[in-house]
Amino acid sequence: MELRTTRTTDMAVDSSGRKLMVKGLAVLGKSILLGYAVLTLYPLYWLFISAFKTNEDFFKNPYSLPRVWRIENITRAWELGNMGRAMLNSTFVTLAAVVLTLILGILAGYVLSRFEFRFKKTAVALFLAGLLIPIHSTLVPLFLMMKEMHLLNTYGALILPYTAFELPLAVFLAMGYMASIPKEIEEAAMIDGSGWWGIFGRVIFPLCTPIIATISILAFLRFWNDFSFALVFINSQALKTLPLSLSLFSDGFGTDYSLTMGAMAIAVIPTIVVYLILQDQIMKGMVAGSIKG
Amino acid sequence: MKSLRKMSLLLLMMTMLLAACGDSGSNKSSDASKKSEKIKLSIWHNFAGDDLRAKTVRGLIEKFAEEHPEVELDAQAIPPDGYRQRLSTVAAGNELPDLFFVYAGSHSAELYRAGLLQPITEVVDQHPEWKDKFLTGAFDPYTFETDEIYSAPIGMSATSILYYNTALFEQYNVKVPTTWDEMMTAIQVFNDNNITPIALGNKAPWVAQSTILGSLADRVTGTEWFKNAAAQNGAKFTDPEFIEALGYFKQLVDHKAFQEGANSIDNTQAEQYFIQGNAAMMISGAWSLTNLAASASEEQMKVVDVTVLPAIPGGKGEANTISGGAGGGLALSKRTEGPAKEAALELIYAVSGPEAQKAIAESNSMVMYDTDIDESKVSSLYYKAFNLVKKTNITPVYDAYLSAEAAEVINNGLQEIMAGGSIENVAKKLQDAQARSVTP
Amino acid sequence: MPTALRSKSFIALALLPALLLFVVFVIVPIFWSAYYGLFEWKGIGASKFIGAGNYREILQDPIFWRALRNNLILVISAIIGQIPIALLLALVLVKNSFFSRFIRSAVFMPMVLSTVVVGLIWGYIYHPQFGLVNTILEAVGLESWTRAWLSVPHVNIFAITIPINWSNIGPYMLIFIAALQNISPEIYDAAHIDGAYGRKRLFYVTLPMIWSTVIVTMVLCISGSLKAFDHVMVMTQGGPAQSTELLATYMYNNTFRVYRYGYGSAVSTIIMIISALLIGINYVLTRRKAG
Repeated sequence: MELRTTRTTDMAVDSSGRKLMVKGLAVLGKSILLGYAVLTLYPLYWLFISAFKTNEDFFKNPYSLPRVWRIENITRAWELGNMGRAMLNSTFVTLAAVVLTLILGILAGYVLSRFEFRFKKTAVALFLAGLLIPIHSTLVPLFLMMKEMHLLNTYGALILPYTAFELPLAVFLAMGYMASIPKEIEEAAMIDGSGWWGIFGRVIFPLCTPIIATISILAFLRFWNDFSFALVFINSQALKTLPLSLSLFSDGFGTDYSLTMGAMAIAVIPTIVVYLILQDQIMKGMVAGSIKG
Repeated sequence: MKSLRKMSLLLLMMTMLLAACGDSGSNKSSDASKKSEKIKLSIWHNFAGDDLRAKTVRGLIEKFAEEHPEVELDAQAIPPDGYRQRLSTVAAGNELPDLFFVYAGSHSAELYRAGLLQPITEVVDQHPEWKDKFLTGAFDPYTFETDEIYSAPIGMSATSILYYNTALFEQYNVKVPTTWDEMMTAIQVFNDNNITPIALGNKAPWVAQSTILGSLADRVTGTEWFKNAAAQNGAKFTDPEFIEALGYFKQLVDHKAFQEGANSIDNTQAEQYFIQGNAAMMISGAWSLTNLAASASEEQMKVVDVTVLPAIPGGKGEANTISGGAGGGLALSKRTEGPAKEAALELIYAVSGPEAQKAIAESNSMVMYDTDIDESKVSSLYYKAFNLVKKTNITPVYDAYLSAEAAEVINNGLQEIMAGGSIENVAKKLQDAQARSVTP
Repeated sequence: MPTALRSKSFIALALLPALLLFVVFVIVPIFWSAYYGLFEWKGIGASKFIGAGNYREILQDPIFWRALRNNLILVISAIIGQIPIALLLALVLVKNSFFSRFIRSAVFMPMVLSTVVVGLIWGYIYHPQFGLVNTILEAVGLESWTRAWLSVPHVNIFAITIPINWSNIGPYMLIFIAALQNISPEIYDAAHIDGAYGRKRLFYVTLPMIWSTVIVTMVLCISGSLKAFDHVMVMTQGGPAQSTELLATYMYNNTFRVYRYGYGSAVSTIIMIISALLIGINYVLTRRKAG
């Protein structure tokens, strides 16, 4: 069964005489949405055309198509930024951190939304505090700490802090989402004799697909684009991630825009693919889950 | 129960994975002591880009690595945008590499004060013919104690060259300004013809300070006064001569010398604005030569010429000067010793020695070193600028002498003046900031 | 309760790994940094304990108050500019038709772009000489309205809120869509029988059902706006003359540009305290509204 929105319901109750006007309104609404979509898609288009321009062309004709399509921008940026290796590193670090964030975040969110226990308020407050932290001030303490833990210069030096900093968001989104899952679902499962792990794994987790997808998208973007941690905690050339490759072509006295754009065009493609895959998962909520429950 | 097992298995795997990557990195330090057949040497720099200068310096480092198979060199090009942040954080953890690029001025001074550097005087003394060919003042920013040198500059920052579009000057029959009045006339004529007189990209606020104020103020106050004011020794930034200097800057602003919104566009955009013929002049550093070489066509470059800023009537300073000074160089970590230190000193010589200076000079980038360049190897505009700088005197760049905080204050202050702020106010804030940092 | 014991071990096992990781990598560094805030320290070299000295200096610095004012502008603009639009879009686009999928993806795209690209393109839109905004104003005869949008103090901070809102609507829309997925069709059917549809259904069924999510997004808006950094760094670097300075850029500049590490740490502690206060106020307000 398809979810109906307010708009379709409006239409259903309208008398047939006003159908034409309603139809007109719908067209108007759609045009506004399309217009907005153009505004949001344009920068992406602009990035991809700019990625193929010479520097001169980029400044002379910022809005038009490249006069000559220069594929060298892409290949040169790829080579100079060591982007093949960086892409692999980013993929590994990002995926590991996303998986870890999901497991820990959803579980913690579930516990905090469903159970009453002594230190619950403290735990919630702690996670809340995590949302408020400007990351730059934690760089030096984290650096010193990870030096002691011999974590610096490993994938762990990125995966663990990434996860830890994304947990508050994951926990809160999960809590907010689970608050609207009816408790009856669990009670039914409890009567069937399932333990908490069973209830969580077989009943709750599948119901969470939309929020899991949401958290994954947000976490993926944050990890994939992080510059500060990657800059400071990773030393070895072999472990460097993509954002470091993107900023190689700007030196404070000037920026080589053609290479910067080329590198950015490469880096943005995986994020678009991941978004498009996960976006469909967001739509798999209660509609699918309620049949099982 | 099945999912419990799955979950804990996953967690376990995760932990093991992390532990595994944790191990792979931590053996680095123990390795060094175990078997030292190869000398380990690490170097961080920010010559990361695709411009000629960066490629040249990287080439010099690679050449060193090839010629020294006994050295295991870990050379890292760090994105320039994050270079200071990276270095500061790592310095806090005392994890600096053996060699690292430092900027002249407060950056290297702070590292020195924190006791993280050691002198490289011995390598300089080993090659007297090299040392002598550096231009006057080349080692000044790196001489923290008498007779001890902490770095050898790789480049020179000539920060205040007047670039002008000869075609536009001819078209409107304007004389290239050599006096302040001529400058004002030129600004008037170009404004009347809807041409921006001077292109400026002051989004990163050091630009106006480094390219315009330094030279302008030196012409008004003289170098002696500035050095005293920077040391807070008998001169203050609230003195009338400095107010007068700021007044000249304000005159430029009031006569609409700069395009509207100069404070929100960046240096590269301003260069492009100029090279495309939208502006008649641009006051910028030698870095613009490198940038333009990479992004402008030969036709565009042909009409551009370079000169010094015009003289100021009744100024105490010399007129035929350009603000500038030693550029950044490689510094040696205090912790490096033994064979690694020897290798490090050799590497410094490889990257800033006579051959290196020539190679860098021929990559369209100024050096603080007396060398001849092959005209055919460089761009025509660079060749003009190279010869211009050779025959002019060098005056100090403000932010090389001010404390980091005071530099920040004057940078922001110039933006304030451009937005209509009062010059006395800015002078006072600068004075306060510099006084605070000199006498803590 | 026969399950009491089992639930206790479940709570511990499910919560502790997250809590542990979080405390070690986030909470400990915060306190560490707050501790640095008590020192006069350059980030390197010797440090001097000065107690509340940094904090006192911060509160007396007019730039700090300007940064705070700018941040509050961002908070307000985010709450009125991002959440309602995101919610509206989510309600309209919750269908799974090709059209709404396309629009949904489009709305999210600014988020996948690097801030550098967003900053560049908006730099062009606001460009004083050949920017889109000024060109349009001239075309419709409003020459007198044209200006250097990112340069003029008091105007530029508002100019900056637009790209920020524009980039951030996407994620909030996603969060709302996910929440809307959670409302079972049976509830809507029941509401329909009770005579709740249209606007009535929105206010009496849909909104209350996702109210917890609305509160979460508000908290995210507040904390996100107080931490805002990237867009401003790319577009104006907090300038000109610190007119668009934000708390986070103020902290960053002090920490890494003028080597006042202790001072910067104190600023970040203050940022956290202010965020906590605002979120507390928000909690009280939204709670009353819900009840």
